[in-house]
Amino acid sequence: MKAAARLLRRLARAFVVVALVVIGTTFLVRSAPGYLSDAREMDARYGNAARAELSAEAAKSGSLKQLLQTEITGWTHGDLGISRQYEVPVAELIAPRLAVTGSLLLRSIVAAWLLALCAALVSSAGRRPSLLWQSPSTLLLAVPTAAMATLCMVSDHGGPVLVMTLLVAARDFKFLDRMLQKAWREPHLLQARAQGLSTPQLVLAHILPSIASQMLALATLSIVTALSALVPIEVIFSVPGLGQLAWSAAMNRDLPVLLAITMIMAVAVTLAGMPADRTGEWQGA
Amino acid sequence: MIAQSTAFKRTALALLCGLVVIALAMLTLPGKSYSAQDRDQLLAGASSQHPAGTDALGRDRMIRVASAFLLSLAGAMLAAAATTLAAAAVGTLSAFSPATLGRFAMLICDVFLALPWLFLLMMVRSALPLTTSPAHSAAVTFLVLAALGWPACARAVYRGARQLRNAEWMLQARATGLRSTQMLRHILPNLMPLLLPQFLISIPAFIIAEANLGALGLGIGEPLPSWGGMLLELDNSALLMRTAWVYLPIGLLILILLLLEAVAAEV
Repeated sequence: MKAAARLLRRLARAFVVVALVVIGTTFLVRSAPGYLSDAREMDARYGNAARAELSAEAAKSGSLKQLLQTEITGWTHGDLGISRQYEVPVAELIAPRLAVTGSLLLRSIVAAWLLALCAALVSSAGRRPSLLWQSPSTLLLAVPTAAMATLCMVSDHGGPVLVMTLLVAARDFKFLDRMLQKAWREPHLLQARAQGLSTPQLVLAHILPSIASQMLALATLSIVTALSALVPIEVIFSVPGLGQLAWSAAMNRDLPVLLAITMIMAVAVTLAGMPADRTGEWQGA
Repeated sequence: MIAQSTAFKRTALALLCGLVVIALAMLTLPGKSYSAQDRDQLLAGASSQHPAGTDALGRDRMIRVASAFLLSLAGAMLAAAATTLAAAAVGTLSAFSPATLGRFAMLICDVFLALPWLFLLMMVRSALPLTTSPAHSAAVTFLVLAALGWPACARAVYRGARQLRNAEWMLQARATGLRSTQMLRHILPNLMPLLLPQFLISIPAFIIAEANLGALGLGIGEPLPSWGGMLLELDNSALLMRTAWVYLPIGLLILILLLLEAVAAEV
């Protein structure tokens, strides 16, 4: 009963966070000085009268309340509103891209975790911090995602999955290595080692369970890292996913599309953070 | 081990200072400007006049790299200082205010943290007017970075300040009748071990964010030089075949980020 109440509280908090993200995004974009400007205003083919008309049209649908109302109506209809740029329902734009982005994220995160965990296990089992493992991770973290993606394109080696995998693995490795090194120094593990327990036994029976909650928290961070890298990777590699759509919507001030993607990202990050919180509660109980 | 790490940090800091001095010296050379064009030498290779060649508009690549380095470093440092100050203010005030207010402040932090950073930046940066001047775009880019970078740091400060609030010396200070303003004088030095690393970590993070934004066409506007703008040159395969100096910005950027991370690294 108590656990159900806690879960409900967490879900309510997640809902409030997502609602505030949507309201905040609308407010932020609406109050930005360039919201009412239209890319067509820069087109020399439009006369002054046409430009004035465009500004008047934009100003008409300008109030925050009206914007939110339009968005909520779109969501209740299930089409998530109409895209300003493409003039089609936002749901139609998002649905096919969701699968592309989901697949990219899933493959990259799984590969990154395997890579980071294997590297961290090998690195942490040694007696001293291994430069062999830590230097590549430090180097990878110092390369901006856009630069890494561009270099891959230029050299014709690797694709979006590789870039995202390397980025997430480098970040995860840093944390995993620190966690595992701390775990290896626990007194009970030193004793188990002295008694002759094999390394795989120690890792499977003692180390991984003891850092499980931290690993869940790290999994949330992996999702946030991957989502942050999504836009430059999809734009540079021309992957028709949500990141590319978000970039295109941002460039064209397409608020309905931006809001829908914002909501999807906020839901993904908030829900991904929930299991980590729950584990903390179970351990604290 | 600690002595080795301190020596490593000092070397990194000295190298970084050396690079700043060299960049400043290059910019003070007579007749050198990041926007000066040499129309007779478009996409030229290295020469005595242009040690790292020129770009597609005949601008000296070395001068542009030096300007981009100083601009991004100064902007990132200012943004990091603003972020750290904002986080210190929000975190400390939330920790010492009634619990409901503190929880509300952390909810606001959660709202900011529920969105990936670059995505949020891109959204805000794109909503600026179409006719933003280059200097304005640079100021806005770093202002936006500062405005969006504080929540993660504020949460860490909040946790640290809560611990301080419940510390015995704090209870005693309250019991002896110290006013809030007097207590702040004792709280802030105790939060410094938390704030200084946050400030140092923010600098490379902001430089990377600016480079990523620039590479998406949403960073600092031309003709002001920026890392992101120069990374866009790597897209031009014809240019890559002509000169290897195109790789200078990315190489230097990685070196600077590594040095900054070495300075910010934990002991």
